[in-house]
Amino acid sequence: MPSHADLDRQIEQLMECKPLTEAEVKTLCDQARAILVEEWNVQPVKCPVTVCGDIHGQFYDLIELFRIGGNAPDTNYLFMGDYVDRGYYSVETVTLLVALKVRYRDRITILRGNHESRQITQVYGFYDECLRKYGNANVWKYFTDLFDYLPLTALIESQVFCLHGGLSPSLDTLDNIRALDRIQEVPHEGPMCDLLWSDPDDRCGWGISPRGAGYTFGQDIAAQFNHTNGLTLISRAHQLVMEGYNWCQEKNVVTVFSAPNYCYRCGNMAAILEIGENMEQNFLQFDPAPRQIEPDTTRKTPDYFL
Amino acid sequence: MDSTSATPNLDSLPEETPVESPSDEVSDHVNELPSAFASVPPRPSIQAPSQKYAPLDWSDYFDREDDVHIPGSNDVFHVYQAGTEGPVVFCLHGGGYSGLSFALSASILKEKARVVAMDFRGHGKSATENELDLSVETLCNDVVAVLKTMYGDSPPAIVLVGHSMGGSVAVHVAARKVLPSLAGLIVVDVVEGTAMASLVHMQKILANRMQHFPTVEKAIEWSVRGGSLRNIDSARVSIPSTLAYDDSKKCYTHRAKLEETEQYWRGWYEGLSEKFLSCPVPKLLLLAGTDRLDRTLTIGQMQGKFQMVVVRHTGHAIQEDVPDEFASLILNFISRNRIGPRGIEVSVLKLLCTHFDYYAVMVALLSLENLV
Repeated sequence: MPSHADLDRQIEQLMECKPLTEAEVKTLCDQARAILVEEWNVQPVKCPVTVCGDIHGQFYDLIELFRIGGNAPDTNYLFMGDYVDRGYYSVETVTLLVALKVRYRDRITILRGNHESRQITQVYGFYDECLRKYGNANVWKYFTDLFDYLPLTALIESQVFCLHGGLSPSLDTLDNIRALDRIQEVPHEGPMCDLLWSDPDDRCGWGISPRGAGYTFGQDIAAQFNHTNGLTLISRAHQLVMEGYNWCQEKNVVTVFSAPNYCYRCGNMAAILEIGENMEQNFLQFDPAPRQIEPDTTRKTPDYFL
Repeated sequence: MDSTSATPNLDSLPEETPVESPSDEVSDHVNELPSAFASVPPRPSIQAPSQKYAPLDWSDYFDREDDVHIPGSNDVFHVYQAGTEGPVVFCLHGGGYSGLSFALSASILKEKARVVAMDFRGHGKSATENELDLSVETLCNDVVAVLKTMYGDSPPAIVLVGHSMGGSVAVHVAARKVLPSLAGLIVVDVVEGTAMASLVHMQKILANRMQHFPTVEKAIEWSVRGGSLRNIDSARVSIPSTLAYDDSKKCYTHRAKLEETEQYWRGWYEGLSEKFLSCPVPKLLLLAGTDRLDRTLTIGQMQGKFQMVVVRHTGHAIQEDVPDEFASLILNFISRNRIGPRGIEVSVLKLLCTHFDYYAVMVALLSLENLV
């Protein structure tokens, strides 16, 4: 087993955007699995903690996030999923977050997003990136096997409920969520899928999600869920919001999105949510990392248009 | 290579390179193993080329064809139809194609939907006073007129499906909000950003096409060998309708005179992404091979405003290359959005609102691979 010194060296290397070796990733994922399997579907988290949304492989923006929010472990972090896909550094990003989790298990919480999935990562870049950087799919397999163990949700001081997507019509209580068997690929439908895919909506009640998975839920649903479970707030990610965070549903729900200029083209700000020692909330917004070089975003134009 | 020097090892993959999923790998590579018979040249195909590329008739796939005469004009639009129940899946082909581009898909879709595929003006068997006016306004007017003529004032639920140029027309028709029974919008492999960027190359691409064919079979063969279509059966039924016989030259040529319509091209795609997002119906964007979203659509997708499916191992004409997958994506979209013959079925939604047995209500959802 690597010592703390090994891990510290690996973290230092990862902070420079240099990936680990395949063997190191395997060991790291084994260690992480042993930690995550002990965590709960609704993982309890203490304040103070800084809550973060989607990262999507935008490594230099993650470094910027740490610059703004404070380095781990000086700052406690809760990440709400979607570490991989779309950006150019999914490998470095997810390796760093998992290494931090292994090194500081009580100070870092990493939840599962809808992109922490075998099927999605084959379409949106993480699989290709692993092939490109390692010459085979082993690293992709180590990580996607690990993703099955990520907690689905977290609960800060029994008050703020954090998850990637949103609510599910088949889950009324936190105990319903605790009863799920989460150690599996994200299913195509059902409660676990909904937690990672659903979105809040202006319309009341449940709706069919335009995304093709999960549901939309109205303010009435969110207010009822918070009331039933003694919550003050649902904090979630999953949707791009131009200011980096967005209150909705009469402050029953907040969206936090932490990938600035998403996909290197959307022009949005990113944000993180600091929750202080007395549960006071403070949003920190940030722009893309200044030194960031865009690795070739020109894409081959199709040779047709008809 | 087109990567920047600062980022070695991060070259974008060529877009058309099919990415094997790990589960495919074994089977994909089996054929590449050196074999004791490797030095034996492949045997010639049993079928002679003329048979292999022989035309197929529309009636193998559609139930009937009709000419829709637009009242008050001399315009006649040809439509192919299949199926007797469910919502109408109204299909709009791309520039240079014809309604038969949807033939193979229609033969599957018709089990659960009524498929209608029209030939645009200047294409297929449609005959209009101005065959060269392919402005998006005119094409939209044509679609609305055909629907009005076919269904009068009480149209059934309609899901508009448009491929490429037809996708642009579908979006423009939907954005006009003149079809009260419109229940869904499906756009096939066209995105404003990349379409606009490719316009500058289009005259050259059109000019580089083979222009004259001694036989229909040769045209079918060319479309498959040239890579524009990857499904021989689809080419055999769809390509004949894209040809016209030139009496003076005694050969076949392209029916649609696309190179004479350049003035309309920008209009097809300018503002398309915003228009797509503005359509107040469930939306599905099917893309071939890779995610080509422009800024507007990336934001829209990341806000959960539409469903996108990247279909792999297919060329531009998804409906022709992989008709089974195409049809099942469309049927899943219809079923997920509860689109019945008269529109969205509200009763099911109410069931959901009362937390009624969730699993009983859920019907075949898309596989996750097909989501986002």
